[in-house]
Amino acid sequence: MNDTIQTILAFGALALALLFLIRKFFWKKSKKKRAFGDAHDCDNCH
Amino acid sequence: MSKQINVALIGNPNTGKTSVFNALTGLNQKVGNYPGITVEKKEGICKLSRGVKAHIIDLPGTYSLNASSLDENVVIELLLNKNDKDFPDVAVVVSDVENLKRNLLLFTQIKDLEIPAILVINMADRMRYKGISLDIPHLEEQLNTKIALVSTRKNYGIAELKELISNYRELSTAPCMHASEIDKDYFDSLRKAFPDQLLYKLWLVITQDVNFGKTDRNEIEPVADFKTKSKSDLKRLQQKETIKRYQFINETLKKGQIIDLSTAKDLRIKLDRILTHKVWGYVIFFLILLTIFQAIYDWSSVPMDFIDSTFASLSEWTKNVLPAGTFTNLLSEGIIPGLGGIVIFIPQIAFLFLFISVLEETGYMSRVVFLMDRGMRRFGLSGKSVVPLISGTACAIPAIMATRNIESWKERLITILVTPFTTCSARLPVYLIIISLVIPDKRFFGLGYQAMTLMLLYLIGFGAALGSAMILNKILKIKSKTFFVVEMPNYKLPLPKNVALTVIEKTKAFVFGAGKIILAISIILWFLASYGPGDDFNKAEEIITAEYANQNLTDDELQQHVASQKLEHSFLGITGHAIEPAIRPLGYDWKIGIALVSSFAAREVFVGTLATIYSVGSDDEETIKNRMAGEVNPILGGPLFNFASGISLLLFYAFAMQCMSTLAIVQRETNSWKWPILQLVIMSTFAYIIALIAFQVLK
Repeated sequence: MNDTIQTILAFGALALALLFLIRKFFWKKSKKKRAFGDAHDCDNCH
Repeated sequence: MSKQINVALIGNPNTGKTSVFNALTGLNQKVGNYPGITVEKKEGICKLSRGVKAHIIDLPGTYSLNASSLDENVVIELLLNKNDKDFPDVAVVVSDVENLKRNLLLFTQIKDLEIPAILVINMADRMRYKGISLDIPHLEEQLNTKIALVSTRKNYGIAELKELISNYRELSTAPCMHASEIDKDYFDSLRKAFPDQLLYKLWLVITQDVNFGKTDRNEIEPVADFKTKSKSDLKRLQQKETIKRYQFINETLKKGQIIDLSTAKDLRIKLDRILTHKVWGYVIFFLILLTIFQAIYDWSSVPMDFIDSTFASLSEWTKNVLPAGTFTNLLSEGIIPGLGGIVIFIPQIAFLFLFISVLEETGYMSRVVFLMDRGMRRFGLSGKSVVPLISGTACAIPAIMATRNIESWKERLITILVTPFTTCSARLPVYLIIISLVIPDKRFFGLGYQAMTLMLLYLIGFGAALGSAMILNKILKIKSKTFFVVEMPNYKLPLPKNVALTVIEKTKAFVFGAGKIILAISIILWFLASYGPGDDFNKAEEIITAEYANQNLTDDELQQHVASQKLEHSFLGITGHAIEPAIRPLGYDWKIGIALVSSFAAREVFVGTLATIYSVGSDDEETIKNRMAGEVNPILGGPLFNFASGISLLLFYAFAMQCMSTLAIVQRETNSWKWPILQLVIMSTFAYIIALIAFQVLK
């Protein structure tokens, strides 16, 4: 493994790590609106 | 032709409804399915007096008329559809003498439908063992019904029940309470709009999302478009209705049902008497906690040492076997030590969840919830807050989501805001490594100081949650009412399979959930520690060679100084030095500062970060613990991780809001940024002040 490949692999890992963290903490996922009448957390309590 | 009446047997699951059905019908029964669905339909014939026959339908068990399953839909569809051939002339509501409070919720709803209803209190033979006595005339008066005390096991009360069914025309159809009081205006307008319809039936049709195909829906179809309330307002009204019903039930049972535990003869009751005792209950809980923490330390030390040395060897092996270069360094100095920092805690986390799971499986945890409810009220919390607070020991995120079943907004908000104080499993790695460094591995009457410190930290977390709840209760001016109902399951031996599955699932969630973040942060940290601006970093070798030219240092010693110079002037080092003035009064150096900043994403990153920082440039096959123990305080001299700085760090992590995911979930649950920001500022400031005081006092 020469230096260039090592550097590419290392920076590739860095890019993946950054992407993962951005997705994890800053990416706002679009949420499906819960329809009225869907199983509600309280329904099974009563 | 003899007369036949329809009788519906209704009740909560596990109330012995089917036993009552069998006792009434004997062999005159058949089992089929409701048309179009797979829900079982049991019906039979019972001969009553005066030649009357009762056609009895054993309806599926349901907790209330708020349907959440196909089985429950069947019950509601029948009770709302007068045109159904099975529509009951009389409803027989079966309850269990031990769970009367919960069972009566359904009864009060059925009474609101103005169907003649008989209340069967089943398992009456258990009353003596449970120390229960009932004032039947009082209950009959309050509930506006007739009651049959039945024991299908001892075979009594069935004849009386048959007699009551025969005389069903004498039963009052008037509701026993007025649920419409939850919103008088709304129900008045509903009554005016549909004067010919039964009010509670309209309410059920409006609020239930079930298939009413078989009911006379056409008549009340326009009601579905009754736009006076939004869906969320209706949901809130439903919750208010449930609270109102429980208030009525509680009031009724206050006089109608007396439970005298001192006369109880049942083993379960005897155990409950001790485990939920106002003094012994807490003492036993405290002793159980102490045993758990001691065992966590005693049992996990061997596997932990093994994992620690394995990762150290793996790191060294990678460096020796792979060709030298950037990626090899990243692997051996960044990724492997970072991962080692999480894998090492698997044994302790697995043991913790093993104990928690056993306590849950045996039914003890419900007793703890009950026990704590008394104390919780003083702090402005509800008994239901105990569940989030206890599950917060695993992770604050599901714990905060678990607050959704707290009806009172004020209690829910307080629970959301204080839950992050409870010691989550992400704090555990930080606590474990710091405790092992600064608390002596000695014992006092067989109890290790380290285990006791860990337990103390859990208690501090719980205490901080309660203390802040009390303050919030006084500050927050929100009016609300709540109710607490908890079902005490029977004691049972834990199923090994269930326990094993819980342990595997929880440990896996911790390792993979935290592991990915730690891996990503380790990679970024390694880059920041391995690259830097300016000559101080790029010409580190020349600077150090010149600086130590007159001293006869070996090559290894020289390389150590070069690595140290590079780290200090790397991007990471510069960041650490920038925040050092703020954290030095707490006894921390710039390396700990970096770990504090990086662990803001998630607390467990702290150990991985330090493992990465201390690995950069190090050639020795060292364990994380040894590397941390070898760090020297640059200002005061002596070990960096000493008693004062260690305690300061432990307290900082006990109180600080070091979790981005928790902040995100608080924002989602409160639908506002105000609360998570307040939580972050207050918790972090408090943590800083306490850590500062601890270090300054102890140094």
